[in-house]
Amino acid sequence: MMAANNYFGFTHGGTQYGAATASAAYGGQTGYAVAPAATAATYGTQRAAATGYDTAYQAAAATQAAAHAHAHAAVAAASAYDASKSAYYQQAAAAYPTAAPPQPQPTYDASAAKPAYSTPASYAQGTYSQGAAQRGAAAAKPAYGAVYSATTATASYPTQAYTATPAQTQKQIGRMVLPTRTGSALSTAKTTNRGNTAYDTALYNAASMYVAQQSKAAPGTGWKNYKTPGTGQPRRAKPPPKAQQLHYCDVCRISCAGPQTYKEHLEGQKHKKKEAAVKLAAAGGGASAAGGARGAAGGALRCELCDVTCTGADAYAAHVRGIKHQKVVKLHTMLGKPIPSTEPTKVGGDKEKDEEKEDDDAEPEVQPVGQDYIEEIRADDGKALSFNCKLCDCKFNDPNAKEMHMKGRRHRLQYKKKVQPDLEVKVKPSMHQRKLAEAKAQRMMVRDELWARRRMHDVYGQGIEEDERMYWEGGIEPWWRGPHHHHHHHGMGMGYGRRPETSDDRHVLTKHAEIYPGDAQLQHIHRAVAHTERALKSLSDALADSARQKTVPAKTKVDDKKDDKADGKEDGRDNQLFSFLAEGEQAGSTSTAGDAPRALKGVMRVGLLAKGLLLKGDRDVQLVVLCHDRPTVTLLKRVAADLPHHLAKVKGPGDEPKYKVELLPAEGAVQVSDAHVGVLVSLTSAVVREPADGGDIKRDDKDVLPRQKCLDALAALRHAKWFQARAATLQSCVIIIRILRDLCRRIPNWTPLNSYAMELLTAGVVQSAGAALSPGEALRRLMEAVAGGLLLEHGPGLRDPCEKELVDALGNMPPQKREDLTASAQQFLRQIAFRQIHKVLDMEPLPKAKHATGAWKFPRKRRRSNTDNEHDAPNGEGKIVKTEEKSDCSDTNKK
Amino acid sequence: MVRGIGRGGRGIPGRGGMGRPPFNRPRVLMLRPPFDLLLAEPAFPRCKPAPDDSVLTQALLKRHTELCPSPTDQAAVLSLVTKLQTVLDNIVVAPGEFAACQLEEVRQVGSYKKGTMMAGKNVADIVVIMKTLPTKEAVEGLSNKVNEEVNKLMKAEGSGAVVSACHERGFTVTGTSAAVRVLITTLHQNLRKIEPDVHLDYKVISSHLAAIRHSRWFEENAHHSSSKVLIRLLRDMCSRHSGLVPLTPWMIDLLAHHCIMNNPQRQALPINVAFRRALSLMAGGLFLPGCAGLPDPCEAAHSRAHTALDLAAQDLAAATAQTLLRVVARGGHLYVLGLQPFEGGKDISLEITVWDGVVVSPLAPAYNDSPEPMDTDDKDSV
Repeated sequence: MMAANNYFGFTHGGTQYGAATASAAYGGQTGYAVAPAATAATYGTQRAAATGYDTAYQAAAATQAAAHAHAHAAVAAASAYDASKSAYYQQAAAAYPTAAPPQPQPTYDASAAKPAYSTPASYAQGTYSQGAAQRGAAAAKPAYGAVYSATTATASYPTQAYTATPAQTQKQIGRMVLPTRTGSALSTAKTTNRGNTAYDTALYNAASMYVAQQSKAAPGTGWKNYKTPGTGQPRRAKPPPKAQQLHYCDVCRISCAGPQTYKEHLEGQKHKKKEAAVKLAAAGGGASAAGGARGAAGGALRCELCDVTCTGADAYAAHVRGIKHQKVVKLHTMLGKPIPSTEPTKVGGDKEKDEEKEDDDAEPEVQPVGQDYIEEIRADDGKALSFNCKLCDCKFNDPNAKEMHMKGRRHRLQYKKKVQPDLEVKVKPSMHQRKLAEAKAQRMMVRDELWARRRMHDVYGQGIEEDERMYWEGGIEPWWRGPHHHHHHHGMGMGYGRRPETSDDRHVLTKHAEIYPGDAQLQHIHRAVAHTERALKSLSDALADSARQKTVPAKTKVDDKKDDKADGKEDGRDNQLFSFLAEGEQAGSTSTAGDAPRALKGVMRVGLLAKGLLLKGDRDVQLVVLCHDRPTVTLLKRVAADLPHHLAKVKGPGDEPKYKVELLPAEGAVQVSDAHVGVLVSLTSAVVREPADGGDIKRDDKDVLPRQKCLDALAALRHAKWFQARAATLQSCVIIIRILRDLCRRIPNWTPLNSYAMELLTAGVVQSAGAALSPGEALRRLMEAVAGGLLLEHGPGLRDPCEKELVDALGNMPPQKREDLTASAQQFLRQIAFRQIHKVLDMEPLPKAKHATGAWKFPRKRRRSNTDNEHDAPNGEGKIVKTEEKSDCSDTNKK
Repeated sequence: MVRGIGRGGRGIPGRGGMGRPPFNRPRVLMLRPPFDLLLAEPAFPRCKPAPDDSVLTQALLKRHTELCPSPTDQAAVLSLVTKLQTVLDNIVVAPGEFAACQLEEVRQVGSYKKGTMMAGKNVADIVVIMKTLPTKEAVEGLSNKVNEEVNKLMKAEGSGAVVSACHERGFTVTGTSAAVRVLITTLHQNLRKIEPDVHLDYKVISSHLAAIRHSRWFEENAHHSSSKVLIRLLRDMCSRHSGLVPLTPWMIDLLAHHCIMNNPQRQALPINVAFRRALSLMAGGLFLPGCAGLPDPCEAAHSRAHTALDLAAQDLAAATAQTLLRVVARGGHLYVLGLQPFEGGKDISLEITVWDGVVVSPLAPAYNDSPEPMDTDDKDSV
């Protein structure tokens, strides 16, 4: 019963009969057919066998006899039939071994299957009564039964049809097989005459022809209609002997000489291609698609007979005249097939008429385009010989051909590509393009999904994080949204955190390391200075003692000294004023007014030493001793005379340096020097700066040290203080000043730049950048400033911040020097810009940083290459890499 | 420890890359603007009386009047431009049987549009945006059509005929006393379809599109008349000194605008100050590699105006400006401005000159085509 239901459902379901259910259903049916109660034998029993072979036989052949009796006979007939058929079938199976695509001939399906299976309803109901069965068979008589099964997975016989014309005298069973590979209706018609194998083959050919014709005529006339005129089917019933040799391929519309060639043709590339195209068209858009796809180009003409689309009337005429067309016509005449009129069919066929009309309305005639791009090649007499299309790069001799070309698709495509991008060109959809389009759609989908996912991620991941952070940080704006500087340069005034080293930076730093004084040199200098300072203090104490020796016993001096030591400050190494006054003494000096205050109040390091600008090879440093009163020559002489004694006392007996003390009255200074270092000790006093009234000057005229020298020494004090407060704190500033000092030593054009002016200049330049500069940037910016004419006469000058009135720190520079300095800076600037900073710094160019940027991008690569050349890493780069490596691999690849 | 964390993908807002190194993202340009004395004023307060610059100011103004086109010239250009605009507009609106190309839009650009035309150069520029692709034939067709139509108008008016000649940028319609260059370009989406042998050059076409953007930017931002004065002066100066010739008008526009307007007060600076500033900036390496230069407001972010020049030209331009700066500082502005020809028309930026005993000498180029390529890329981008 279930099988019957299945069958029933199947008949109405038509082509949708599924592969999965096929075997089960048929299995059930087979059992049903041989069962004793099987009146069902009146209708076709199907056996689906795993051997890849199927049978269908029509029990209606035995309708003269009782259904019960013939159930058995039918089985017997089937086996006999099987034997005769097997050879053919194996062949067919071998030829079309693959799985089945969808039903290729929907029209056939619709017209043929329906009428056949409207009747089985009566089968199902009237299975028990023979009359009913007869009646049902009779009802089916004018048509025929057709069964379709489309099995996709396992079966090699996917489509099957059988016809039953039970009342016919010939008792013919039309058995139609639609092999999957051809996709066209290749059918076999079978009589129930058992064992008549010779007849079988003959009939097979005839039937195949018949079906081919049927399927061809199907769209227009319909199978049924065709069939009705002669139920006897004279042509097929008694096929002409010739037809046996005629193997006609319906898809390709050619005939083959014999079964062998026919078979070969069916396996051939050409045939398969065509078949695929037909199938594609069918799959693409149902019944009308075949025509529609083929005739996409509007206005084209189609030869129905040969299934050839021509682009124009001329081409069509040429085709009709052509040998190929003639051949087909001949063949068809021979086969007795209907020959469509030679009137060209407009593309799309009848069914597409309205669609086509739309096309016609939109584009009545293809406008020739690109007339300008076709040049005429003329003969000497001015007659046009040939034409050359510059867009498509092709030639024609015929004006007609030129016209055709201008309307043609290829030309239009070129025109669209090269001249007018919005020109509409109908595109022929090819397999390739379709595949591309599909792939593209697929990619788009994937990408969209990816974006969607990422967005989700952003929303739920980062977005929240960000909001939260904003919340907790309150009003603090992230730096990148910070207020913009008043001019629109990017990167200025923004704290970008750590910036990677540039090549310029590395050069500057390398040079800096070169010119920076060595440890030994610094030690020498510091020892000499410290000794001098302590000796001076000792001297100061001695002077003070001698000044008040009546009242103060000598013992106190020792106490004072001890006090000082308790302070922990033995010399001026912190670059601040090293006061000689003891704490108690300070208070005392004010209270005991009668006492003469200390003549030497303190000493301070100034100049290079104080600023930390010493370079390699510098051996002169400066100290300034502040005196209570105007320093006099007498005092200076006293200092010069006593200092050696105190020096010897300070440094301890028998120690290395042998200090030599010189008196330089013109400088207002004493020079203390040993083998390596010269310490210039200048005497000055704050009093010198006060406006000197005439009387004072007259009084000490002879004795007082030169005023200018004293003032210079005072200025040096202020400069040192300014430097420590302003310049030393700026990033890169001290480095650049050292570099510039080196420059001044090397290059004559730069020599006139005095060191204080240079410090002012550098500090100003670095400070005005508004952000921390790397050494390379700072040097370049300095060059930019000088090159831009900062130091020329019309410039603002370098205001001395250590003077009350406006003083130009570089005021005394002669014009030619300024000019030369500017020119030199300009040259340097361009050299820096063009990666020749080594020329500016007078050094060897450093090799390019190996991993300056790439490594950051590809950490793995850096790690590997680093292990290779760890040893010849030119600078500190290697160190950083190493730490990183350590953290990366957690010491695994450290040996 | 990851280096460069501060500028990696995490530091930039809006990038979803969670801690993943930005592989193909261009590295952030971290360039410094050059030293600009005007902006660094607080660090370098003036400590001596400002020099009397009235001589320079007067010379600048005098030269400017010489450079301004006369009213008759302007009228001539105006009339020709108007006619062309009419003709082209007609083609845009109603092409009729004209099929050589389809026009999208017609715009006036360049010095005429900006009001920075120079005397003696009565050439206006019009950019025609084609809907179709700019093949040479299309240009020729348009040229013929325009020629015909303009001549019709001219005949009706009774004035002289015009001639139209094609060149690689479009075509030029030349009248008796004025000329209009019609620059051809195409829609932006068509740009990638350009083929070198069929169409006009890609660079030319995109430069014409850029010209439209430049005109618009100028109209919106740089219309101050001081800018225009400075533009004329600088263009004149650049045209007379070989090293500065490669500077494009657009660069000069940007430079002039920067010099006039970009100061803390946002008020136009006096012309003499701006002129000195322009020279000083150029001498200070504004247009050298590794400098932030002037950001191009009409291009994508971080694009710098001076990258249009090749390295040798950048070097030469900077060197020339540096020499001129020193010449002007010695009082040689008459020669620099072109008020006096220098020794029979020699280029003063290439000669050694003596001013009150001070020798000013030109500079040698720093850029050399070294065998190992100087990859400024590294330098530019860090």
